[in-house]
Formats: sequence, structure tokens, C-alpha cells
Amino acid sequence: MKKIKGLSLLFISILLIGLVAGCNSSSKEVSVIQTIQENDSIRIGVFGDKPPFGFVNQDGENEGFDVFIANRFAEDLLGDASKVEFIVVEAASRVEYLESDRVDIILANFTVTDERKEAVDFATPYMKVGLGIVSPDGELITDVSELEGQKVIVNRGTTAELYFIENHPEIELVAFDQNTEAFNALKDGRGAALAHDNTLLFAWANENPGFSVGITSLGNEDVIAPAVKKGNTELLEWINEELETLAEEDFLYKAYDATLRSAFGETIDADDVVYQ
Amino acid sequence: MVHNTQEALLEVKKLHKDYDGLTVLSDVSLSVKKGEVIVILGPSGCGKSTLLRCINGLEAIQSGKILLNKVDISGSDTQWHLIRQKIGMVFQSYDLFPHMTIIDNILLGPLKVQKRNKQEAREHAEKLLHRVGLIDKINAYPRQLSGGQKQRVAIVRALCMNPEVMLFDEVTAALDPEVVHEVLKVMLELANEGMTMVIVTHEMDFAKAVADKIVFMDQGEIKEIASPVDFFQEPSTERGKQFINMFNYNHLNKERE
Amino acid sequence: MRDLGVNILFEGLNMQRLLEGLWITTRIALISISFSIVFGIITGLFMLSNNKIVRLFSRFYLEMMRIVPILVWLFIFYFGVTKIVPVHLSSELVCVIVFVMWGSAEMGDIVRGAISSLPIHQKESGIAIGLTELQIYTYIIIPQAIRRLIPGAINLATRMIKTTSLAVFIGVIEVLKVGQQIIEYSLLTYPTAPLWIYGFIFSLYFMICYPISVLARKLEMKWQH
Ligand SMILES: Nc1ncnc2c1ncn2[C@@H]1O[C@H](COP(=O)(O)OP(=O)(O)OP(=O)(O)O)[C@@H](O)[C@H]1O
Ligand SMILES: [Mg+2]
Repeated sequence: MKKIKGLSLLFISILLIGLVAGCNSSSKEVSVIQTIQENDSIRIGVFGDKPPFGFVNQDGENEGFDVFIANRFAEDLLGDASKVEFIVVEAASRVEYLESDRVDIILANFTVTDERKEAVDFATPYMKVGLGIVSPDGELITDVSELEGQKVIVNRGTTAELYFIENHPEIELVAFDQNTEAFNALKDGRGAALAHDNTLLFAWANENPGFSVGITSLGNEDVIAPAVKKGNTELLEWINEELETLAEEDFLYKAYDATLRSAFGETIDADDVVYQ
Repeated sequence: MVHNTQEALLEVKKLHKDYDGLTVLSDVSLSVKKGEVIVILGPSGCGKSTLLRCINGLEAIQSGKILLNKVDISGSDTQWHLIRQKIGMVFQSYDLFPHMTIIDNILLGPLKVQKRNKQEAREHAEKLLHRVGLIDKINAYPRQLSGGQKQRVAIVRALCMNPEVMLFDEVTAALDPEVVHEVLKVMLELANEGMTMVIVTHEMDFAKAVADKIVFMDQGEIKEIASPVDFFQEPSTERGKQFINMFNYNHLNKERE
Repeated sequence: MRDLGVNILFEGLNMQRLLEGLWITTRIALISISFSIVFGIITGLFMLSNNKIVRLFSRFYLEMMRIVPILVWLFIFYFGVTKIVPVHLSSELVCVIVFVMWGSAEMGDIVRGAISSLPIHQKESGIAIGLTELQIYTYIIIPQAIRRLIPGAINLATRMIKTTSLAVFIGVIEVLKVGQQIIEYSLLTYPTAPLWIYGFIFSLYFMICYPISVLARKLEMKWQH
């Protein structure tokens, strides 16, 4: 007992020492941007395994659409595109990273939802994502009405499945759990078309000749935006102004050309993805 | 069997013991002289084991006194690890330490507790092992021994501490019948050499042969203390008679016709 | 035949990244296991204490570590603590802290189980020849308990090595995460990437865990005598 008490005492005192030290170094008066400039580095949370938005290449470097934008943020804030510390985040813990001050900005394909708005502050969107429908070139589906009497392949529990159940109950669905299963079903002709997030379909159709995304945008579009910690208006305003400036020079289209065009193919219109 | 008129080596006076209010021993008084062999008999659950465990300090007592060489050892300030060197105890279960060789089992007490010279202690141990016919097992592990051999080693382990009195709690009860005699033989020899012993057993013939005094217990009390001849011929209490008859009946079945 | 899948292991810095990831995994696991053994023995003795409150307290600790998932503990320490006090413990340190807390509890239970599975007569025989409590533990209880707890401890160690993959949720890029990054990056050029990468990682885990179980078996054999 004595020993456990001793141990927990030791532990608590380590925490307390850390607290005191921490308090001294981060006084609340100091401006967030000033702190970033003092550190000469901005911490941005990105994905490491979601090409083409945020991924790590074979040399261990971060790349992708989100990363491209993040580098520009660093350039405009600190004068050097390389002054960004990329923190690889998991989808499930993006909010936590902001709340616990472990990143300054999340740029990780973060879809804006009402629920998330409660927890973090979203800046102006820079991307949009909707549903798409991919089908074989021979019998390309370009309108939902063509699907009547046909089978549509979806992934269980996704927005695509939900959309068809709510808006087109007359269309028969074939549901799968895994992406690979669903795509294989489409190749085997077990359905006339496959519905999923359009960006995913763009990349897949680009790698699978003979298939095209006949419907690039369907249903409600979601938007994707940078996020900061709740209440961090200073950084939020900076990002919004920055995005405005970038819009003037069509920066997001340049980002699209640099990172997404090769993945999605020439047939896809940048406006299906870029939000400006 | 040595009879003498010396004063008591071990004395139990008005001992009372209970487990959470359940009385297990009440008003137990007993005195053991040097060289005397006491055999405690009684039905199962009457408190025989508990009495031995109290004497060895394995159980706390609620009232009464235990004296060894006139010194009260039942107080709370007793240096039990010193007292226990003088009181050897052998249990019913084979209680050798399975991860040690026979010799290490025997020498643990002499070397670690008594801090004796290694050479001397080892010679002593070898002599004792010789006597019980197990010198060839000196470097064996307990699991390589039979039950009877293990109990003989357990006796040697206790003896090697040079105890003044030895307590035996049904040491043959868990043994196969054919090896019981080899353990009893060792105990009988010890008794003949003048070792002071308190023995709990269900072996009536052995009790008859080895005891100087029979102590008969029932329901936590000593009902009678008598010489073996008297007790086995004519117990003075009704419970004693019943107890003897039970055994006679068993023996009748087995041995006569 | 553009898909010679095995090549993916050697493309760019992939091999180096995988091995670095493995080193992080091993480092976290080794440090955690070592501390867990030491604190686990202490916890085990607390669990066997004669004092009811101490026993209750250590029981509660064990149950807390078992009921609350490791991932939640990682989140509590990595994100939660920082919300209360502005200390930023590194993700690796948080991993080690949480794994040691968990490992000590489990190890404590293994120690408790090993000691209490010893027949009571072992202790009493020690008492009867006059050994002190400390001597009984040193010469009788602990040597026998160690033999009994080896299988459980080895099991725990391998479980801890595997559980290090949870570290990714607080940003530790360990071997499994590196593998996932490589797969996602190369899936379109190498459709068989998952097979090669996971196969390779499997053999890496095997290379760490196998020697441990061999060692355990050797010890068990040795202690039979
Ligand atoms: N640790 C304990 N807690 C509670 N009761 C106990 C404990 N140990 C023994 N008893 C009880 O004390 C009584 C005496 O037990 P003891 O073992 O001394 O009997 P015994 O005469 O040796 O019997 P046997 O011949 O079966 O060995 C029994 O009723 C037993 O149930
Ligand atoms: Mg008994």
C-alpha cells in the first residue's frame, strides 16, 4: 500500500511539475499566430494513408491535395513551404488532436457536419464530395432514371446506400461490406452500376479502363474544410483570408492539377471536386 | 521408551482456541516430559491437528498457556522462528520443497535459520539419511521419491534441526498401505532412542506399541489420559469405549476370519 | 508482368521505413514489458496482502485496466490529460505509461495466481523449520512461483507486443501503420501489395515473438530438473 501510494504520489508530482512548467511557457495572452511564428513551424494534421488527399510516398514524405495546401499555408504564414510539421492523424481522433492542442490545423479530408461543428471550428471549405455512379463504358449510366429495373451495388452503411433507400426505393440494391468486394461485383456484372463517394470512384475508374463515372454528382454535396480548435478565431480568420487570397489566383485548381488530376484522369472536371 | 520423573519439557495449560467463535479446543491441558511419547487419538474433527498447530505457533490461541522448558511461548512477543527450531513438525501431506534436491531440502533450515557450518550440517544430514535408508537419494528431487520415502525425508528434515520435541500429524494417512510401515519403523526407532514426541495417528497397533501415554480427545476436549494398556483394554469414558469398539470392529472384519 | 509484388518491399525507402516502424514497436514493447515485470511483482504482492483495503484497492486497479479498453486509456492519457493540464507527453511516452499500467495489473494477477496456487503446506513447512517470512518468500515461494508464472508472463509479453499496434491511434507510426501507408500508396500499381507487406510484417512479428517462446520453453525444460 505504502509503495503504491508512493508511486502514485511520484506520478502526480511529475504531472504537477509538468503543469507548472507548462503554465509558464504557454500563457493565454500570447497570440496563436505569434506563437506559431515564434516556433517557426506550424503543426498540421493530415492523413498518411488516404491517397490522393493525404498519404506518405515511398520515400516517407507526405504528399497529396491536403498536403499541397498545407505547404502553401506554411509559405504564406512563415515564408517557407517546408516550415510545417505534418502530424499523421487517424480519422477517429481528428477532433481530439485539435481539442488537446496537439495540432494547429486539421487538413485531413475533414467533412463538415453539424455534429463536428459543435466540437471544432471549420474554416471556408476547399473541397466538396458527393455521390457518384460508375458503370461499364458499354452501358454507361448517365442518369438515375436509367437505373430503374436494374441492380445497384453499394457498400453497407454508406451515404450511397442511404441515398438510394430514401430517394429511390424502387431501385434494387446489392450491398457489400468491403470496397474490394463491391468493385469485384461490378466487374463480374452482378449489378449495372456502383454508387460510392465520387472522389473514390474517380480514382478507381481512372485505374480500371472500361469503366467511367457517368454520374459525377448526386444527392446532397458535403463540403470539406480546414478545422481549428473551437474558439481559435485568430487562426480561423487567418485561414479564411488566406483561402480568399488563394481563390484570386485559382490556387486550388493548381493544387488539383498537381495532385488529383493524374489520379482522377482527364475526363473529370476539377469543379466536381474543388470548392471555390 | 524412556520413563523418567523429570519436569515437563512441554506444557499446555487450559488452552482455548476458536475459529471465528466456533470453539475448536477448550480447556486443553497436557504435559510432556523429556523422552516421553504421547499419542493423541480421537475422531476426525476433534481438534488433534489444531492442537499440534497451536503448539508450533501456526495458529493463534485465545487463552491458556504453552510452555517449553518452563518458558511461556504463547505470548505475543515470542520469537517463533527461534522456538520452532526446537519443535520439529511433520505434516500429513508430503510437504518437501519440490524445486530443491533432497539434501537442499534438509539443509535449508540448518544453514539459513541456524547458520550452521555447511560441512558439519551436511555430515549430520548424511548420517540421518543413512539411518532412514535414503542416502542414495541425496541428490534426487522429491518427485523422484515414493510417498513413504518423502515422509522419511520430511522426518529427517525436521530432525536435522536438532529439535527437542517432534510433532507428527497423521504422517502415514496419505500413504499407500504397503509403505506405511517403513515410516512407522523410523518413528518407532526414534522413540526408542529417547526422542520426545507427540504423535497424532489412526494406526492403533502402532499407537499401542509406541505410546507412553494415550491422550483421547473428543469435540475439542481431552476426555482421558491413560497408559496404552489401560486405554485399549478398558477406556474410562463412554466415548473412549465407542471409539475403541469402532476400531476393533474394523479390525475384526479385516483380520479375524 | 508489371506486378512483381515483392518489389514493393524494396521500393524507395520502404524497407528502411518498415524496419524503423518495427524498432519503434519493439522499443515500446521491451520497455513496457520490463517495467511491467517489476511493478507486476509488487502489484501481485499487494493483491495477496493481508490487509483487506490493499487487496480491494489492487483488485479495483486490475478491474479498471481490464474493463476500460487500452485504446481508451491511450486517449485519456494522450488527449484527456492535456486538456486538464497543458503538458504534452510524447505519444511514445504515453504508450509506455499506459502499457506499463496495463502490464503491471495483468502481471500482478499472474503473480498472484502463481503464488496462491502453491499449496499452503509449502509455506507452513517453511514456517515449521523456522524460516522468516522473507526467507520463505526468497527460498520457497518465489522460486516456485516463477516457474508457474512463466507461461502466463510469456503470453502477456506477446500480447503486449501485438497490442502496440494500438499506438497508431495516438500518432505513433509503428510497423503496422507504415505497412498500411505503403499499401495505400502502391495499391493501384501493385494490387498484391497487401499480401507482400502483411506477409513481411507477419514474419517480423514472428521473428520477435518466436525467440521469446523458445526461451520460455527452454526455461521450463530446465526447471523440470
Ligand atoms: N482454518 C480453519 N477455520 C475454521 N475452522 C477450522 C479451521 N481448521 C480447522 N477447523 C475446524 O476445527 C475443528 C478441528 O479440526 P482439526 O483439523 O484440528 O481436526 P482433527 O482432529 O485433526 O481431524 P482429522 O482427524 O480429520 O485430521 C474441525 O471442526 C474443523 O472443521
Ligand atoms: Mg488432522
